[in-house]
Amino acid sequence: MQGAIDFKYTTFLQMLQFADSALPIGSAAHSFGLETLVSEGLLSIEQLETFLRDYLVEAGALECQFCQRGHQLASQLSHSGQDLFITQWLALNERLSAYKTVRESRLASASLGRRFLQLVHGLDIHPLLPDIMQAAKSAGIATHFSIAFGLIGGLLAVDATMTGLAYLQQSLSGLVFACQRLMPLGQHQASKILWHLQPTLLAIIKRSEVAAPNDDISSFTPLVDIGSMRHSALTTRLFIS
Amino acid sequence: MEHQQQSAQQRVAGRLHLSFDYDQRRQLTRLTTCEQQPPLQVIRAFPLATGGTLVHLHNLSGGVLGGDQLTIKVDVGPQTKVQLTSTSATRLYRCRPDTPPAQQTCTIRIQEGGLLEYLPDPLIPFAGSRYQQYTQFDLAQNAGLFWWETVAPGRIARGELFAYDLMHLGLTISALARPIAIERFKLEPQCRTLSSVARLGLYHSFSSFYICRVGLPATRWTQLEQELSELAQDLTHPGETTWGVSALVAHGLVIRAVSRQGRDIAPGLLALWRAAKRSLYAEDAILPRKIY
Repeated sequence: MQGAIDFKYTTFLQMLQFADSALPIGSAAHSFGLETLVSEGLLSIEQLETFLRDYLVEAGALECQFCQRGHQLASQLSHSGQDLFITQWLALNERLSAYKTVRESRLASASLGRRFLQLVHGLDIHPLLPDIMQAAKSAGIATHFSIAFGLIGGLLAVDATMTGLAYLQQSLSGLVFACQRLMPLGQHQASKILWHLQPTLLAIIKRSEVAAPNDDISSFTPLVDIGSMRHSALTTRLFIS
Repeated sequence: MEHQQQSAQQRVAGRLHLSFDYDQRRQLTRLTTCEQQPPLQVIRAFPLATGGTLVHLHNLSGGVLGGDQLTIKVDVGPQTKVQLTSTSATRLYRCRPDTPPAQQTCTIRIQEGGLLEYLPDPLIPFAGSRYQQYTQFDLAQNAGLFWWETVAPGRIARGELFAYDLMHLGLTISALARPIAIERFKLEPQCRTLSSVARLGLYHSFSSFYICRVGLPATRWTQLEQELSELAQDLTHPGETTWGVSALVAHGLVIRAVSRQGRDIAPGLLALWRAAKRSLYAEDAILPRKIY
């Protein structure tokens, strides 16, 4: 009984660490197109909470589904064998790369995923991690953050819902912190936004669990996509993406 | 109940199957298979000066009605050059409450060295319409694709703006059996506002233009992205129309546009198509012959 409680709280602490915006994988360097929207006057503080809610409903839900598929992959590892596992891991990442039609955001996701895997490799979480990193490198396939996050959650035997929520929470925190650097958004206001959007995260995870078996993933963010496409043309940039 | 049975009887299952091959002796592309079931129809193929062929896809209903199930299958043979276009904008009519959404499935294979330019007019979803469209392209080695799709917000002249109920657009582009672009847009303006900055913001029409040629190295695509981005920048008028260009994960790039009025999109697509065709094929882009 004591062991079960220890495990529960250990996984809670692990997820807190991975969902922390201070995790040293470089997430503070990316705005995923928001910098362009702010720079071009399309996004203001007044619109921010609504914007983030809608953005999460679209792009967040897509990432959440892939996070959960990564988690599912880990749970299948014991009976699918290493070769099949790696094949599925590569195919899943390849599929998300195809969903991510915007180069800058795709590279950002890949960069975060690679750094995240390198970080957790150093934590001795699972002996297979060097193999999956090497397999992706050899095949020239990007390893995306959301899938890697789900996979690690699964390998640590953290509940799929908790893993998905932790992923969404860190995504939202990252976007809010990016906005704090882009616009006059105070810490209290930022905290309020994070607090207010918790029900949205729960709604996304519920929808994701229903949609996952049917491959019913939808994401419609053309203005943010174009913002990301136009980002490299900004004369002054704080962010890589 | 009787009303539902009548609706079911009125539903149509249109089908179109086209195949093209290359006549080595005459050095031109031929339409070799044309199986059709109304309301989809092809009248004839027009030869192009480049040795390619142009086919207009007709919908005899004048638009897509609720419950319609339309299937289009196209096989672009090795070394062929094919242009497909619609005869006018595709009108998506209001759906009765008891009819399922209209569906169109389009499956296109482009074989080695083939080139398809699929350049339809915009989709116009009427108030109360429900429409699902799934498009799949499978590209072989050195296959090329120019494909765009523009979606209007409704019948603007009647004051309709996002008055449709459902627009579900799915796209998969695969090259050498690996996915390079996937889109799934499920738009339900009555449930989720499209005027959110996360979606269309102050813009009303949107367009995607995919340009692929299998086998070119990634550096070629980032170079073309750079070239076309400069043109896209010239075409952009913030608040009116905004363009962006991005290389895909491999073998192609995508251009996206959002526009407040919509009328700026077609000339922009044409300009970008011309530039990309010149760059990738060293050929001029020839606008499909029809009334504009």
